Amino acid sequence: MRVNGLTKKAIHLLSAVVFLLLSWQVLSFILDTPVFPPPFAAFTSLFHSMNSDLMIHLKVSFYRIAVSLIIATIVGVPMGLWIGKNKRVDAISAPLIYLTYPVPKIVFLPVFLILMGIGNVSKIVMITLIVFYQILVTTRDAAKNLQKEYILSVRSLRANERDLYFHVYFPACLPAILTSLRLGLGTAMAVLFLVETYATREGIGFYIMDSWSSLAYEQMFAGIIAMGLMGFLIYLLLDACEKILCSWVNP
Amino acid sequence: MDYLSISSLQVDYNHQKKTNPALRNVNLSLPRGSIGAIIGPSGCGKSTLLSVLAGLNQDYKGQVLLNGKLPKETGEAALILQEYGLLPWKTVWDNVKLGLQIKGLSKTETADKVEQILNKLGLFSLRKRFPTQLSGGQRQRVAIARSLILQPELLLMDEPFSSLDALTREEMQDFLLQLWKETNLTILFITHNIEEAVFLGQKIFVMSECPGTIIREYVNPLAGEYSARGQLEFLEISNSLRSCLRGREKTCV
Ligand SMILES: Nc1ncnc2c1ncn2[C@@H]1O[C@H](COP(=O)(O)OP(=O)(O)OP(=O)(O)O)[C@@H](O)[C@H]1O
Ligand SMILES: [Mg+2]
Repeated sequence: MRVNGLTKKAIHLLSAVVFLLLSWQVLSFILDTPVFPPPFAAFTSLFHSMNSDLMIHLKVSFYRIAVSLIIATIVGVPMGLWIGKNKRVDAISAPLIYLTYPVPKIVFLPVFLILMGIGNVSKIVMITLIVFYQILVTTRDAAKNLQKEYILSVRSLRANERDLYFHVYFPACLPAILTSLRLGLGTAMAVLFLVETYATREGIGFYIMDSWSSLAYEQMFAGIIAMGLMGFLIYLLLDACEKILCSWVNP
Repeated sequence: MDYLSISSLQVDYNHQKKTNPALRNVNLSLPRGSIGAIIGPSGCGKSTLLSVLAGLNQDYKGQVLLNGKLPKETGEAALILQEYGLLPWKTVWDNVKLGLQIKGLSKTETADKVEQILNKLGLFSLRKRFPTQLSGGQRQRVAIARSLILQPELLLMDEPFSSLDALTREEMQDFLLQLWKETNLTILFITHNIEEAVFLGQKIFVMSECPGTIIREYVNPLAGEYSARGQLEFLEISNSLRSCLRGREKTCV
């Protein structure tokens, strides 16, 4: 029997899921502690908490992640393209970025909490800032390394600067931008968890830590699964974007 | 005065605070509707010359006139780069459309013109492909379509057929000739191939290197004759060109 590409992919994905669940089951059996419940118990708990407050916490977290990613993209991409396109701007900004990029921004969380309060703003700003840097640097480098030939050929069609951004720089850098977003998503989720464990009573991070401190381990795992699923969902979304917008990379 | 006239053209590149002379005292003229060929050693400034004519390089000394106007003022010249410069993220259709899109033409008018030119160049069935999915000859034709859609007066081509195999190359030469006969295009192209220069160029300009200037100009009555490829005169001009190029390269080293 011949299987087409999609079925094959589904089978691979399914086997990966089965493998992970089996490993989980075995690990929980070996560890034999309430802190690490088996998958069935965790998923049952997830199912039950769906109707309760888990959903509310999940929504809050999703909002924080989504807004952060969107702002970081809207600011980071044009800025990266602009710096990458203009040698002079790059020369001026390079040392600044070079010096500030390696500094772990998360250490400023206390400062942000004091300056911007313990609400959504400080958390979103924190995540945005961290993801923004990754997007900025990746986009800038992609724009910088763009083959001059493309620019010349479009210029010879009497393109102005705006045309160049629209027809050359942006589409050429899009694969790199999406990759940086995907990497940024991982970072953003980690930062989200961290910022939600301080001075807040909302969000999936809080939900997990709260369950932990009240010894509700199955509920804690429900939170962990929910957070994982949320990340996976956004990842799928970015994947779909890439498939649609960058079909030229592997036609 | 000729359609294209260049006198005492000088171009320098500034690279790391050093001045790099690329072109010196270039004089060239080409009547409207004719084909000119430029031939010369690598690095002698041929591409630089075309970028000046296309209005992309405005940092030059001397006089360059297209139909009596400066290159940047006329929208008359179209440039096809060495590697064609097609955008890999755009399909054939979108690549060809680009010039009109930039010009701001209406959507229906653009679509009509794109369809027309694709049909004319035998590319319509390939319209949904990306450049990476095309052969070298097809890519070259797309690049020509992308330029022609703007209805230029002057077509500048930088080593148009250099990366094609011998047979496709001859096909494309014939194709270009056919196109030229149908339109009133003035064509100026660069080549490293002596036979190509003699087959297509009514005027052949030989350049020297370090820094580039035109050292010899041939008027070639055989250009554009399909039957000329085997004739004795064809070989004579070819040989004369060859020894001219050889002699120059030696003095340059
Ligand atoms: N952007 C640039 N900056 C500095 N020097 C340059 C630049 N572009 C070209 N040059 C120099 O100017 C000279 C002419 O270059 P050009 O590209 O016009 O040569 P060419 O005749 O087209 O060569 P080829 O046959 O290899 O394509 C070369 O010596 C090259 O090194
Ligand atoms: Mg060149």
